[in-house]
Amino acid sequence: MVMKQIALYGKGGIGKSTTSANLSAALSLQGLDILQIGCDPKRDSTRMLMHGSFIPTVMDLVRERGDAAITLPEIVYSGFNGVRCVEAGGPEPGVGCAGRGIIATFQILEKFGALTGDVIVYDVLGDVVCGGFAMPMREGYAQEIYLVTSGELMSLYAANNICKAIQRLSSRVKSRCRLAGVICNAKNQPREDELVAEFARKVNSTLVQYIPRDRVVQVAELNKKTVIEFEPASAQAEHYRVLARRVMENTRFTIPTPLEIDDLESLAVEFM
Amino acid sequence: MTLNPSPLNLCRSGGCTLTGALSVTTHVRDAVTVVHGPKGCTHHNFSLLHATSIDNDAFISPNLVSTGLLETEIIFGGEQALDRTLDSVLRHNPGVIFVLSTCIVDTIGDDVGMVCGKVRSVPVIPVPTAGFLGGTFQNGVNNALIALAGMAAPGTKNESRTVNIIGEKNLEYEVRENYCEVSRLLSEIGVSVNTRFVHDIPSEQIARLGEARLNILRDPALIPVGKYLKNRLGIPYIPSFPFGISGTFTFLKTVADACGVECRDAVDEERALQEATLADFSDLAGSTVSFENALVDQDCIQTVRNLARALSMKIKKNGRQVPLPTTPPVGVAGMRRLLHRWRRAIHA
Repeated sequence: MVMKQIALYGKGGIGKSTTSANLSAALSLQGLDILQIGCDPKRDSTRMLMHGSFIPTVMDLVRERGDAAITLPEIVYSGFNGVRCVEAGGPEPGVGCAGRGIIATFQILEKFGALTGDVIVYDVLGDVVCGGFAMPMREGYAQEIYLVTSGELMSLYAANNICKAIQRLSSRVKSRCRLAGVICNAKNQPREDELVAEFARKVNSTLVQYIPRDRVVQVAELNKKTVIEFEPASAQAEHYRVLARRVMENTRFTIPTPLEIDDLESLAVEFM
Repeated sequence: MTLNPSPLNLCRSGGCTLTGALSVTTHVRDAVTVVHGPKGCTHHNFSLLHATSIDNDAFISPNLVSTGLLETEIIFGGEQALDRTLDSVLRHNPGVIFVLSTCIVDTIGDDVGMVCGKVRSVPVIPVPTAGFLGGTFQNGVNNALIALAGMAAPGTKNESRTVNIIGEKNLEYEVRENYCEVSRLLSEIGVSVNTRFVHDIPSEQIARLGEARLNILRDPALIPVGKYLKNRLGIPYIPSFPFGISGTFTFLKTVADACGVECRDAVDEERALQEATLADFSDLAGSTVSFENALVDQDCIQTVRNLARALSMKIKKNGRQVPLPTTPPVGVAGMRRLLHRWRRAIHA
C-alpha cells in the first residue's frame, strides 16, 4: 500500500496528543506499521504509547553531540504494539527557535530514511505559528491534515486559522497538502457535535469523528497508557477505532475555505 | 530589492546597520568587536573594512571576532555561544569589547544586553545592529556612537577651548584631509580638538568626551547623536563640518561664539584664501558643466552650484559631466581638491 502521512493540528490543550496516540494505537491494531512523530518542544506526544516515559528527542541528541554523531536507533523508539515513536523536541522555553528545530528534525529524519511505514502520524503543536511548524504540511510530508477542535469558540478560531495555513500551502504548485477532516474532541457542551459539523461544512470539509469527553481518558493517562491499551472494551476506545477506520477509508481531501471572524462568531452564537 | 544597479543604490551609506557600527567600533584602538552571528557577517565586513583602509593608505586588520553561530545555536539560542566568545576574547586583555548583533540573533530573540550585562573585567558594550529591521549604514554609525558615549564621564561646566569631532566618515576616501581642514580652521581661532569621536583613538579617550565645550558633527545625519550627547553631557553641537563658500564663515562664527573666542581675523584670512583659490581656477570661467545624474543629496548639489557660479561657470543639462563628491566639499581645501578634478574633466 502507499504510505499515508497525516498530521493533526489544533489549539493547544485540545487533546491532539491524546487523539494522536489513541489513533496510532488503533491503527497499529489493524496490523499497520505506524510512525508517530511529536512535533512540539513539550515532547509529550508519544508518552502514553511509551508507557509514561519521555523518550530522548532528536533535538536533545543534536544539542548533546551534534547531528553527525546520531544514529537512527537513538531517535526511534518502539512503543505500544510496535508503534514507532519519535519526538522532535526543541529549545528550552523562551530561547532559540523551535520552528527551526522542527525543520532540522525533518532533515535528520530524511537523512536516515526514517519516514517509512504504512502510516505516519504527525502531532503538531497548537498553531502554525511560523514556517517551521508548517513543515509537516510541506511537499513530501503530510498530505492529509486533520483539525482537532472542541465546540469552544477559541478552539474553532485556532482551527479556522490552521485552515488559512492549509489554504495558503495548497495553492503552491507542487503542494498536495489538503484538509482531510475535522475531529471533534468534545467538552460535552450541548449541540457541540452539530456546531463542529457545521463548522466543518462551512470550511469545505466534514466532521470525521465525534469523540465525547470521558473520564476513562484521564484514568488511562494516570495509568500511563492509551485508552486503546488500558480499556479496550470501553465505548471511548471504540470511538478511536472508528476514527482509525474512517481515516483509512477517507478519500475526501479538500482545499479549505476559512471563515471570516464575524461568520465564525455568529456560527457559535447559532448553536449556543 | 533594487533592479537599478546605479552607484546611488550601491553606495555604502545605504548599506547594512552592522557595517555602519563597525566603521565606528573598529576605530577604537584597543577594542575588540564581537559580531554575534554566523561567521559570514564578520567575514564580509572584515574584507570591506580592510580593503577600505588600504584604499585610505592605512594597513589595519580590524579586531573582529565572530561568535560563529551554526544551526544548533539558532535552534537552542546563541546566548551561551556569545558568553563563551566573550570569555575567550577577555584573555587577550582588550580595553573594551563591543558586541554587535546580526539579523538572525534578533530574529530568534537572543538577549544580547543580558549577556553583556554580566560583570566582567572590562566594559562589554552591546550595539543593536540587526540590518533586517530596516536601518541603514548611518543608523549603525549612530547606534554605535550612542552606545560608546555611555563610557564618557559626565560633563562638567568648563571654559576649555576644545571641541569634539563627532562621527567622522571613517570609510570615506578623504577622511584624513577633511579632518585636517577642520583642524586648521579651528586653530585659526585658537580652538583645539579634545576627542575624535571616533577615529583611531584609545578607549580611555572616550571617558574624556565630556571635557569639550562644543561637539562638531560630521554631517546633519548625526543630529540624533548630537542631541543624545547634549542631553547626557550638556555639550551643545553644530550640525556639520563647514560646507562650501559661505559655510566656512558660518562655521568659524558659530564655533567662535560657542567657545567664547574672537573670529574676525580668521574670517578675513579665510575670505582671502578663498578668493586666492578661486583665482587659481579662473581658467574654468565660462565652461559649461552639467550636474545631471548627480548621485548626491540636494545639500551637496546646492554647494557645488554655488561654487560653479562663483567661478562664472555655466550650468546646463548638456554641459560637460564633472565629478561630484557624495558629500559636500569640506572647507577651502575640499573645494580646491574638487576644482582640480573639474579642471581635469573639463580640459580632458
